[in-house]
Amino acid sequence: MPDGHDEGHLLLTVGQLVEPVTGRRWDPPAILREVGARCARYERRGLRPGDRVFLHSGNRLEFFAELLAVWRLGGCAVPVDGRLTRVELERLVDAATPRFSVVDDATDGAAAAALPSTVEVVDASEPATPADLPADRARASADALILFTSGSTGAPKGVVHTHASLRARWSALEHHLGLPPYARTLCLLPTHFGHGLICNSLFPWLAGQDLFVTPPFRPDLLARLGALVDEHRITFLSSVPAMWRLALKVARPPRGATLRRVHCGSAPLPATLWESIRRWAGTPEVFNTYGLTETGSWVAGTSGGDFTPADGLIGPPWGATIRVLRGGDAEGLAAGGDAPCAPGETGHVWLETPALMRGYLGRDDLTRRVVVKGRFATGDLGLLDERGWLHLRGRERDEINKGGMKISPAEVDAAAEGCPRVEEVCAFAVDDPLYGQNVGLAVALTDGGDGAVRELYRWMGERLSEAKLPVRWWRLDAIPRSDRGKVSREAVREACAGRAPLDLARILQER
Amino acid sequence: MRESHRERVLEFLRTIQKPDRPLDGVAETDSLVEAGLIDSLALLEIVAFLEEHYRIDFASTGLEPELLTSVSGILDLIEREGR
Repeated sequence: MPDGHDEGHLLLTVGQLVEPVTGRRWDPPAILREVGARCARYERRGLRPGDRVFLHSGNRLEFFAELLAVWRLGGCAVPVDGRLTRVELERLVDAATPRFSVVDDATDGAAAAALPSTVEVVDASEPATPADLPADRARASADALILFTSGSTGAPKGVVHTHASLRARWSALEHHLGLPPYARTLCLLPTHFGHGLICNSLFPWLAGQDLFVTPPFRPDLLARLGALVDEHRITFLSSVPAMWRLALKVARPPRGATLRRVHCGSAPLPATLWESIRRWAGTPEVFNTYGLTETGSWVAGTSGGDFTPADGLIGPPWGATIRVLRGGDAEGLAAGGDAPCAPGETGHVWLETPALMRGYLGRDDLTRRVVVKGRFATGDLGLLDERGWLHLRGRERDEINKGGMKISPAEVDAAAEGCPRVEEVCAFAVDDPLYGQNVGLAVALTDGGDGAVRELYRWMGERLSEAKLPVRWWRLDAIPRSDRGKVSREAVREACAGRAPLDLARILQER
Repeated sequence: MRESHRERVLEFLRTIQKPDRPLDGVAETDSLVEAGLIDSLALLEIVAFLEEHYRIDFASTGLEPELLTSVSGILDLIEREGR
């Protein structure tokens, strides 16, 4: 698209923004005033198109105003988890080289202090002077959003979306799902995740629907979820299965019959849990949604016709073509794996969608491995039935899915391997009654005392945010290997399954 | 009776606590989450424990999350609702 025809891409037909916990709300004129004031602040500080801006605190009104201001001026927003350790944040700064970093009173001060002097820190809560909105400098082909996911090598992997790819996702969702069910949308998910931000929040809100946003995963909110739905006449909410494991036990169902639709995604949804959510919500429209950050999140789900919840059932695509092929990556396709599987036959799931990311930030090598001729290799195994509905059958990559948060075991390995007490280490998924999966660790240490365990625990705590820290540890003489000398995480998991894990609480509290 | 409940609750909390935080250093009325002893979502594990060992039916009684955030709150709930 030539310059001059590519501008003016930012949607500003927003709905209300409400924080049910604090009672704060901004109507659309107030939102535009907030965006205008923030644009003026960024302009004073010299933000240029293409500059990247870290947003450390999500799930509050100011986050959305900052996001739109960055976009209005042609910048690229990088929402990051406010709980990152200093080491993790430094790695993201190295990867994304932000120009600005927006913090507020919820940002960890130690993390903000780790920012290099090249990054200008902006306080989101500082009063902004009212100003008119400047001209829209958002270009369709320009980078709009970078979301970091856990890379398979342990290095951070930044998924880059342009305004065009995001717009394609929202258009497809509106076409396939309609807007009325999303009139009053509740977001309980973190806004630094694709699912929470792109689909749960921005899809309805930028189409003029009202958005009610809470701090993510707060158990006290989940315990009164039914009351929250009634009080705010919520019509839609999205979720991950782990939320329901708590809410279904402790929250009374809504009584106001306002809830029209519920999405659940980011982790496998067992059929029994699915049925229970339907009963609780009082609507059959509980959709198991499928999507990845790379595809702008939701690309398929059980949105139409009668269906009976079943393990692995996803449904028809939303603005995407789903292919199930015999090969799972570029090498697999080159070796003849681009033949489609027959209906009912399990293979590798590929997606074609105009909402596909531009690529991984600064990692063309990784992008080329998973994007071949516009098709994206999801890393999932599945099948298409006779109707063309997708059913998932597993994941070929060894990431750990902790309640929807994807953790790369390689990242956990890398954090541990630098510790001088470690000879060998292998992280893997362990079953967890709440999250579905959690992080387990097998480790061979240089000496036999508990002091080495304490030292490694402290070492990892400085390098990994708490959610990624292993919860069960096994101490082995050596990590088991195959005849060819390779480590299989599944084999290590099986080797540990028959042994008692370390009593970490006893070890760490002995001094 | 409360003392024996306390022993059992503390024994259980040791199995779900963050391993590097000493349970002994937390006062009975302190919030376990704010003291950093448990993850906020560990509430589910406390609920499951109370259902299994004290047959408290949260589906019918409802839940006041603040009751489950301290040892004394949990003990009060057991005395009131436990069987």
